Amino acid sequence: MAKNRAQIVYSPRQKAYRFLLWLLLLFSTVVVIFPVAYVILGSFKGNQELLLGGANIFPAQWITQNYVDAWEQASFAAYTRNSLILSVGVMVLSLFVSTMAGYVFSRKTFWGKEIIYGVFTAFMFINVGSVSLRPLYELAVGMQIHTSMWPVILFSAGGGQATYIFLCRGYVNSVPRELDEAARIDGCSFFQTYYRIILPMLKPVLATIAILSFRQGWNEYIMPRVFTMTNDALRPLTVGVNMLKNAGDGAAAWNIMFAGATIAIIPILIVFICFSRYFMGGLTAGAVKG
Amino acid sequence: MLSVSTLDSEHLQLRPTNRPPRPVNKKMRLKESGSVAAGLMLAPSLIFLCVCSIYPFIWIFRYIGYDYNGFVARPVGFRNFTRMFSDVTFWNSVLTTFEYAFWKLIIIIPLALLMAVLLNQKIRGSSFFRGAFFMPTVIATSISGMIFTFIFATQNGILNNLLQAVGLMGSPINWLMDQNFAMEAVIILSVWAGFGNYMLYFVTGMTSISEDVYESSRIDGANAAQTFFRITLPMLAPVLKVVLMLAITGAFKDYEAIMVLTDGGPGSRTNVMFLYIFKLIFGTSTNARMQIGYGALLSLMAAVIVGAVTIIYNLVARRLDDVV
Repeated sequence: MAKNRAQIVYSPRQKAYRFLLWLLLLFSTVVVIFPVAYVILGSFKGNQELLLGGANIFPAQWITQNYVDAWEQASFAAYTRNSLILSVGVMVLSLFVSTMAGYVFSRKTFWGKEIIYGVFTAFMFINVGSVSLRPLYELAVGMQIHTSMWPVILFSAGGGQATYIFLCRGYVNSVPRELDEAARIDGCSFFQTYYRIILPMLKPVLATIAILSFRQGWNEYIMPRVFTMTNDALRPLTVGVNMLKNAGDGAAAWNIMFAGATIAIIPILIVFICFSRYFMGGLTAGAVKG
Repeated sequence: MLSVSTLDSEHLQLRPTNRPPRPVNKKMRLKESGSVAAGLMLAPSLIFLCVCSIYPFIWIFRYIGYDYNGFVARPVGFRNFTRMFSDVTFWNSVLTTFEYAFWKLIIIIPLALLMAVLLNQKIRGSSFFRGAFFMPTVIATSISGMIFTFIFATQNGILNNLLQAVGLMGSPINWLMDQNFAMEAVIILSVWAGFGNYMLYFVTGMTSISEDVYESSRIDGANAAQTFFRITLPMLAPVLKVVLMLAITGAFKDYEAIMVLTDGGPGSRTNVMFLYIFKLIFGTSTNARMQIGYGALLSLMAAVIVGAVTIIYNLVARRLDDVV
């Protein structure tokens, strides 16, 4: 194989050009990573050092007290728990709802299918912004579930489902129908065919949906902010950290905010580093094909 | 469920006991039971669609003629409409949105395209670079906004300190509070947070361009610029069109990061329309009075503006298609 692929031989001038290119890319990478590195490293600085500023991004003295303070005094333990509940909840719901709907959309013909599909697509493009959170909030209050995490989980999953359904339908379309028919002849019901035969074949798209919806839940900000306006105990990390910033004593709590921002970043970065191909694959599959 | 069971009993009655069922009947029965199952499987997503998308949309229309503060709704007739047309703050926020979207797009698209072209050169470590450029897009916008608040801070912010350390700047700039720099700060943040997305679309689009085309252009002696403008760009046109539309609609909808970074300030310098509407509907820390009816009307107006921009873009893109 290696021989088939013609080895390109570069002249010295081309080599120099490619080296310069490489340096340019490296410089861009440093610029892009810099803000994140600055916050993560800064979370190990003392508040005094942070407030003095300076051009050094490495801590003069590494301390972990910020994390202890954030965890114990600033209720980041609760924020982290809420963020986890929110993102796992959105992920599980999205997986269930979108695979079932995607399968039905792919395999069934029924009255009004095109209309429903059109409505799904239309609402991906109609954007009225934050105003839609108002009726949803009033609905949650009316149903007496606004003192739990449920409304945010449900409405977040409901708001993001269209992309995942399209992803799923596209993938099921590529699974041969003969498989369904064979399963039917063997006595599987419609649901059993989905559950036993098709679902196991959807693993790649399941992974993509799982990761994208986990990130969606983890990064959700405006909706939980609105829903937890008066309820500090339900705030996820994104809201909790930003509330510190608005709390007025801003400068005094820089170290805690740095630690909090780092706690909010690290899990999603780890997920990204481990599963980057699903992040990137899902993005292009959802947008260009869907 | 009921129809299935009655169908079953019918079958039992019609069918002679010791003969296998006729295939036609069996197929029919399977199809029927499948419909019920399919309906149940589709139900959760339909309920979500109704509750999370359709219901809020209808709700908006219910309140556009009201003065609604979250507790009492008072009908005001067409007063919200007349107010909208004379609301200077709103139309300024629309202009701000256009300004923001213009600068964001004019920087982010060429940058993403450039990086995609560079990464397409089969350079050592290109997948690492790609991952690094994409990394900001996985971080919550609200957290990115907060990180940049630290970076842009006046006295102890790292950006001012770095610029001063290398001698590019004499006195510190008050990035977030200065009329001349707040918009730049917001745009820097949005470019940082978003360009990896578009870069990835372009990279994916470029992988579908055949290597042979580049090969033959090299043999014909095309230089880098010629290769880009004569081959890469035309062959990327379909992808570019979709990406541009996503980028345009995306830029008009941005407000989360701006809310965290400047909250629309200083004054209304970075107050984009969706941020202005958010403040009307949920109140601000200084003004808790909510004007939900009026906000609902402005939301519709904003949706119409974004829709109009999308349609105009599509018309222009089609026209360009005919020319090229």
